[in-house]
Amino acid sequence: MIGIIPVNNGDPLAAIQDFLKRLLESGAVEALYVPLQVAGGTVAPALVSDASRLSQANPLAPLMPINGARAVSAITGKKPTARLGVVLRSCEIRALYELVKLQQASLEGVTVIGLDCPGTYELPDFNALGRKNGSMLIEYLAAARGGRTPTFEGISLRPACQMCVLPTPEHVDIAIHLFGVDVQKGIPVVLDEALAERLSLAPATTEQVSGHQEVVERLVAGRTQERQKTLSDIRSHLASNGSIAGLFTECIRCHNCMTVCPICYCKTCLFRTAAFDHPPEHYLLAAHQKGAVRMMGDTLLFHMTRLNHMSASCVSCGMCTSACPVEIPVGAIFSAIGEQVDQAFNYVPGRDLLEPLPLVTFQANEWTEIGEAR
Amino acid sequence: MENQNGYEPKIVAFLCNWCTYTGADLAGTSRLQYPPNVRVIRTMCSGAVDPVYVLKPLIDGVDGILIGGCHPGDCHYQTGNYKTRRRYVALHEILKASGFDERRVWLRWISASEGQKFAETITEMVTAMKELGPNPLREAWAV
Repeated sequence: MIGIIPVNNGDPLAAIQDFLKRLLESGAVEALYVPLQVAGGTVAPALVSDASRLSQANPLAPLMPINGARAVSAITGKKPTARLGVVLRSCEIRALYELVKLQQASLEGVTVIGLDCPGTYELPDFNALGRKNGSMLIEYLAAARGGRTPTFEGISLRPACQMCVLPTPEHVDIAIHLFGVDVQKGIPVVLDEALAERLSLAPATTEQVSGHQEVVERLVAGRTQERQKTLSDIRSHLASNGSIAGLFTECIRCHNCMTVCPICYCKTCLFRTAAFDHPPEHYLLAAHQKGAVRMMGDTLLFHMTRLNHMSASCVSCGMCTSACPVEIPVGAIFSAIGEQVDQAFNYVPGRDLLEPLPLVTFQANEWTEIGEAR
Repeated sequence: MENQNGYEPKIVAFLCNWCTYTGADLAGTSRLQYPPNVRVIRTMCSGAVDPVYVLKPLIDGVDGILIGGCHPGDCHYQTGNYKTRRRYVALHEILKASGFDERRVWLRWISASEGQKFAETITEMVTAMKELGPNPLREAWAV
């Protein structure tokens, strides 16, 4: 059903905080994963067990310092330790579902709370904005209501958010609507009836929820165009630069993209093992073979390996782009390539927990032409 | 090993112990002729060929890579080669999308009794790689 979170004194953030408090106090969850405000105006994700801490909760801040799927993986593991509530954006939820399929997180006893997301900012931009404008909340919610990108002078959304085609949470236990919503009249929330009763939420009126669908469609249409444009730019680079190597010439091999990637879950990445600690002669031999060899080696191999490991599950959260110190559009490159891999398997990462990962399943009678002489 | 144009392709072959490697052995003991352009690496199953094993030589400039496995349904480990096939599809898509020439990476099912098929496959692959010309990554140092 669709319930309504009442907004008092024109303060939607307090209404959300109050809703989260009720979740915790009613015993529906024992702890909540949610961003908390910290001194200096920024937010940091936290696991909260004391409801009084939730007066600092701010899931409406347009900032995503980490992809929360990693955090949920850390607090659930193979078996969850408690009844948890996790407040996430759509790309975090999709990454989480991929991690569940990869057996790196569990949803048993976990209440997934998703929010509509108009987009997020790079951390330095967010901080600069906060210093200048104070609260971004009014403009952020107005943008969500109108289905447009928030406008703050001189600052754009993270590149991944500018081309996000899945800004609403799907397959969640609780979905909080912001798109098309006049928050002053209450915030619609989709949840099951028993939970609505437990939290004593009144049902939403038709008027309160009528704008949502249309606004989402309009926003997604615009972002889809943006995504197609960005990805086709990347694809023409891939075709013209003599392969992907041209796009990673500036890579400094800091491995930030791998560190922040929610899908890259290996406890020890192959590229952090001794496998590529070559003896000195190796480099000289490689130099002799090609006339010169890039130091340190294996940069392209690192990216190709990562593509091979995670591109089918890439949810386009763009954390890799945000983490890249030399501004390589890693996320767009991986999205462009991952999309083609997913098309081959008719797979959409993070869409449905019941869809098996393309590389852990098979059918005996598929691609039967492969392996035979042409 | 060089032809008139000075180009002889280098091929790395990952062959499964139970079928294709034994098939290659049969080609040898049957004294079948095939071009000497291939370097064979034995693996326990085609499903044990991590795509990284394919990517590394490809980026280093090897011209062709062959993965050889048992026919579908005949895997010594029941389902290894079905998984190989999916990985191969994914790898091909990644190579294509990344601007590599995916025609340099082959997967063939060759059983232990198909020595002839192994010799033919190598001959066919060497011809195909000559048509493609040298792997451009052979000269690319900044990778």
